Amino acid sequence: MAVRAVFENSCDIGVFATLTNSYCLVALGASENFYSVFEAELADHIPVVKTSIAGTRLVGRMCVGNKNGLLLPHTTTDQELMHIRNSLPDEVIVQRVEERLSALGNCIAVNDYVALIHPDLDSATEEIIADVLGVEVFRQTIAGNILVGSYCKFTNQGGIVHPKTTVEDLDELSSLLQVPLVAGTVNRGSDVIGAGLVSNDWAAFTGMDTTSTELAVIESIFKLRSAQPSQIVQDMRSTIIDSMM
Amino acid sequence: MPVYNFKALPTVPTASDLLDVVLSKTQRSTPTVVRGKWQISRIRQFYMRKVKYTQQTFHDKLGNVLDSFPKLDDIHPFYSDLMNVLYDRDHYKLALGQIHTAVGLIDKIAKDYVRLLKYGDSLYRCKQLKKAALGRMCTLMKKQKASLVYLEQVRQHMSRLPSIDPNTRTLLVCGYPNVGKSSFMNTVTRADVEVEPYAFTTKSLYVGHMDYKYLRWQVIDTPGILDRPLETRNTIEMQSITALAHLRAVVLYIVDISEQCGYTIAQQAALFHSIKPLFANKPLMVVCNKTDVQAMDSLPAESRKLLDEMKEAADLSGAGATAGMVVGSAGTDEGGHVTMSTLKEEGVSDVKNKACEMLLASRVDQKLKTRKTNDVLNRLHVALPSRGVRAPHIPKSVLDNASKGYPKSTRKTEKDLQEENGGAGVYSMDVRKNYLLEKEEWKYDKIPEIYDGHNVADFVDPDIEERLAELEREEEQMLREEENAMESGSEDDLTAEERRDLEKIRTKKSQIIAEHRKKKAKGQGQAHISRKHDTERRATSRRMRDALGELGVDASAAIERNRGRSVTRRGKKRALEEDGEEGRSKSRSKSRSAVMGRTHSSKSRSRSRGPSVSHTAEKGAGFKTSAQKMKAQIISDKMQRKMQKLARKGEGDRIIPNEMPKHLFSGKRGIGKTDRR
Repeated sequence: MAVRAVFENSCDIGVFATLTNSYCLVALGASENFYSVFEAELADHIPVVKTSIAGTRLVGRMCVGNKNGLLLPHTTTDQELMHIRNSLPDEVIVQRVEERLSALGNCIAVNDYVALIHPDLDSATEEIIADVLGVEVFRQTIAGNILVGSYCKFTNQGGIVHPKTTVEDLDELSSLLQVPLVAGTVNRGSDVIGAGLVSNDWAAFTGMDTTSTELAVIESIFKLRSAQPSQIVQDMRSTIIDSMM
Repeated sequence: MPVYNFKALPTVPTASDLLDVVLSKTQRSTPTVVRGKWQISRIRQFYMRKVKYTQQTFHDKLGNVLDSFPKLDDIHPFYSDLMNVLYDRDHYKLALGQIHTAVGLIDKIAKDYVRLLKYGDSLYRCKQLKKAALGRMCTLMKKQKASLVYLEQVRQHMSRLPSIDPNTRTLLVCGYPNVGKSSFMNTVTRADVEVEPYAFTTKSLYVGHMDYKYLRWQVIDTPGILDRPLETRNTIEMQSITALAHLRAVVLYIVDISEQCGYTIAQQAALFHSIKPLFANKPLMVVCNKTDVQAMDSLPAESRKLLDEMKEAADLSGAGATAGMVVGSAGTDEGGHVTMSTLKEEGVSDVKNKACEMLLASRVDQKLKTRKTNDVLNRLHVALPSRGVRAPHIPKSVLDNASKGYPKSTRKTEKDLQEENGGAGVYSMDVRKNYLLEKEEWKYDKIPEIYDGHNVADFVDPDIEERLAELEREEEQMLREEENAMESGSEDDLTAEERRDLEKIRTKKSQIIAEHRKKKAKGQGQAHISRKHDTERRATSRRMRDALGELGVDASAAIERNRGRSVTRRGKKRALEEDGEEGRSKSRSKSRSAVMGRTHSSKSRSRSRGPSVSHTAEKGAGFKTSAQKMKAQIISDKMQRKMQKLARKGEGDRIIPNEMPKHLFSGKRGIGKTDRR
């Protein structure tokens, strides 16, 4: 099920949290409200870890991970690394990456099988991504944007990409990633999907501004609670047309 | 698209209030005292200012009113017509027009009197002119009393109008009075409209909101309409007509089949047919209400026929074609009539859904005809992978949860704990609580960040044991290889002498390296070290000679070159002699050292290349005599000595040659009389 959340009056919750199938990282906030949204949904199944990365709260933008591993930027402190290692199960490999583009979350989009990465990323980093996360790596852009992590979000079930992605690009990306894809928005028309949305194979969280139409699209494409992507073209077609034009 | 919000209109002051405000503002904001010695030009200016200021204040206040009130021609026709119905278009326009004219007149009066004031020849006359100008402005405003009062009333009424968005998805409920329009509204939205069993309970438009298909819908409840010519309709009915005429909505025409409202089905059908032109180009639905009192089956045949006719007309009118597309079976009887009972709330949601579907279909139809369609086509495309999809990784606990129908988690969240322990800002979460470690008791172990000056984390390695073992293995192997090499090695077949030499070479080499390192450790760019501090006497010519001799090189020439040669007495003497005999011109060709003997020169400066033509320095640069210069040089060198000894330049790069320049601190000026700059 998709849940709306807000981090200290900011709807870009993808900046402050990162979610995978085996763990969830949440930023340190002034209160426990944001953390508890995740805790209530996820803590029975996977560890929900409250941490900072490189002294910042931009957890979702700084790091990237999937079921198998977690990549942290080189600016991560030793204490944070230790805290994360202690909090995550041993199967998850935590690795610090010496990469000039340290906002890994913006540069990399990944599920448990494939990763899309920023075209300028180091080849050493590319290897680390392939080894640690156990994925195939593709250098790609989304609708002309090189920040693939910001402009798309996909899990093993499906994904949303930048609203200006053309139909041909969608088909190409979809066959590359082997997941159903749809072009969409979050947070009442925001095109930075990665910033507005975090999700894994069974749960999703979006910003408080997300309209119910957007939420319904998210639920169907990520197949949350037995929703199906086909609903977008069938049941919700008229809704989408009417709300967007 | 403009947002119609009339709640923020500024209040319109009454005429007398306006006068008080403007005049007192003029009094407060302009000078009030005329001095006896003022020239006439200044007096004129004094009064002109008052006139202009009053005019400007009137202009601003009234301009604000004129700007904020909506212009009937610019706003959506629905609002424009609604305002016509409620406030009378002519009256409204006239009122605003009069205010506008008054502003113009006030401007004109001010202009005229300012011109007159230019010719005012005395204080008295100027004052009278000002008085006349302000008086005329006030009289003018007093005449606008009625318009201002009317506009204030309009403002108050407008701020209470429901905020209807004319462009959004709208359900419009209409019909005879008391047929159950407001009850329908109350069941589908939370607007909580007043419902009473008499006609015209609803006297104005009401708006409520509901959700359907992830979209926001606006439901408008209209006052009841009676079947009579348009001219004779009252204001209450006209509001309904306005809404019907201008809103692009789905119209629900509600028919009371029980006839409890006091109007027969025939009358209701007649009204339907008479206002049919208003339904053109809109999805329309005839809804039969109060089926709890009068079942559809037991309806007399003639009534039934009337209903059928209405339904046919509805299907035909405007977007009626789309109406047929959607079928909500539950609220529809066999004849295709839509029925409901707002009292028992039967069929209400079906009616709602059906109406929404009809409107949505027609809106989508219209929108797809526009050019903007291509922009959103990609959003309606779900790209499915050509190859098979790969399995998701969902934990078993989640799947179990799903099979149980997602029960609510009873977990105590951090937020609960936070509330129990003093709220946000007081409570601080225990972050180590959820650590996943081998042993439970390790969780709260204290681990130092820095230990013995080293960052502990640099030495933490999960597989350090393995790596150590690997390293040891490697080392062992290398040792073994070395041994093998030694066995077959080369040093064995050396003679004893060769061995000694080799030993010597190695010692020497290590000595040189050690010395070099020592030197390096002291710092690069070492300055000259005086003999006194060079206790080891490393840099002596004797040593050089020995070292070179050991290598079998004759070092005498090098030593000769390197030694600081003192000038021979003979040479000096000869130079002086020549100087005396042949004058200055001759001595120029002599080398400088020959002339001067030992010359002091600054040691802090590297020696520059000698000029091709040497010149005498008796009159040392900037000094009276060369002797004086030499003396100065000696003093300067002495000053440097301490620094030189320590072989340091000093750490700072900021040099203040003279911290208290005398010319700035001496003199007869006491403290605080003048600034020295």
